[in-house]
Amino acid sequence: MLPTITIDDEKCKEPLSCRKCLLICPSYVFGLGTNVGPQKFREIALSHFIVRGVRFDKCSGCMECVEICPQNAIQVSF
Amino acid sequence: MCVWCERYADGYERWYFNPANYARRLYKIRKEEVEAAGAEANPQAAGGMSLLGRDFLEAKERNDIEAMERMRREAEEISWRTHFGQVITLDDALKIADIMYPIAVMTCACRRSMQGLPDEENFTCMGMGPGMYKWERWPDTYRGGVQFLTPEEAKEVLTKLNKRGLVHCIYTFGTPYIGGLCNCDYPDCGGIRTRIDHGVRVLWKGHQVAQVDPELCNGCAACIHRCQFRALSFAPTRNKAYIDPIQCFGCGLCALECDQEAITLVERSSLPALVEAW
Ligand code: SF4
Ligand code: SF4
Ligand code: SF4
Ligand code: SF4
Ligand code: SF4
Repeated sequence: MLPTITIDDEKCKEPLSCRKCLLICPSYVFGLGTNVGPQKFREIALSHFIVRGVRFDKCSGCMECVEICPQNAIQVSF
Repeated sequence: MCVWCERYADGYERWYFNPANYARRLYKIRKEEVEAAGAEANPQAAGGMSLLGRDFLEAKERNDIEAMERMRREAEEISWRTHFGQVITLDDALKIADIMYPIAVMTCACRRSMQGLPDEENFTCMGMGPGMYKWERWPDTYRGGVQFLTPEEAKEVLTKLNKRGLVHCIYTFGTPYIGGLCNCDYPDCGGIRTRIDHGVRVLWKGHQVAQVDPELCNGCAACIHRCQFRALSFAPTRNKAYIDPIQCFGCGLCALECDQEAITLVERSSLPALVEAW
């Protein structure tokens, strides 16, 4: 079953400096991108980075990401 | 035969040994499709290279083969035209280091997307060809900068990354122009993941296939962890390494780890069932 994963960008302001969810997820479900398009090799201000669920098919629902997020920004539901 | 060799080898043994395929015209190539493909919907596109979004995963879940096939074909078409890869052995990568100049290491976009790795820990991707000079000239436009390498240094870096367990892949930037000499693994590389997780051929298998010689293999299992493609496992009953020839991408990492020289790479073209299994 695919989960719905939401990240509150208002709470997660600088994911590149935090990246706790990216590192803890056992199955690399999250992806780090930007909200200004896929300009993958440009210098982009830290505030433009966002985290999203990408590999939903690999999510077990372990909730480690929800627990570790210091901003309470992540919701995972099935 | 590899269609890329058929089209672009021009007499060379493999298409990626043809120097013409590195001579990209800088004033021409624009990856408009990729740039336009909405980062909000697919942030992986911003750092990795997955051309598949949630709609593909949903189609997979409801077993909608038709929709999956359509999305797969679309993703492959875009990728083959703009940006796709092929697995190569360390030997071939070292040869490329001799025919191609300049070569530079730089930050790996996939690992940045997957792990948010800072540039200092993330110089595992290599870029080649005249495109690299743009990165040098406009460092503010191209994040993280590049570090140019002499051919000998490039070979050292490639060998070190291979030791670490990374697979070498060449990538086109506007096919047939090859601009990337990538060093990748599962689970970190978007290309390997798209191929292994979903069977979408943004990454092609290499020109060879690994085989275990049961006479020479002593069952030490030292090679098993090297495979990034789920082709290699340990067969307890035979007490030997086991390689699935259909699944093998021919990277050669396992062979380099075996001190019994029990693993050899044979040409894909010598195996009738695998000739077209890219
Ligand atoms: S753990 Fe929370 S705050 Fe940190 S990057 Fe992830 S979503 Fe953002
Ligand atoms: S619930 Fe577990 S598997 Fe799913 S995204 Fe969070 S950490 Fe990853
Ligand atoms: S293809 Fe490999 S080296 Fe290139 S960006 Fe992806 S993981 Fe990094
Ligand atoms: S490293 Fe060589 S000898 Fe050891 S299991 Fe693998 S193939 Fe066999
Ligand atoms: S079996 Fe060996 S050559 Fe084949 S993909 Fe795995 S590590 Fe590479």
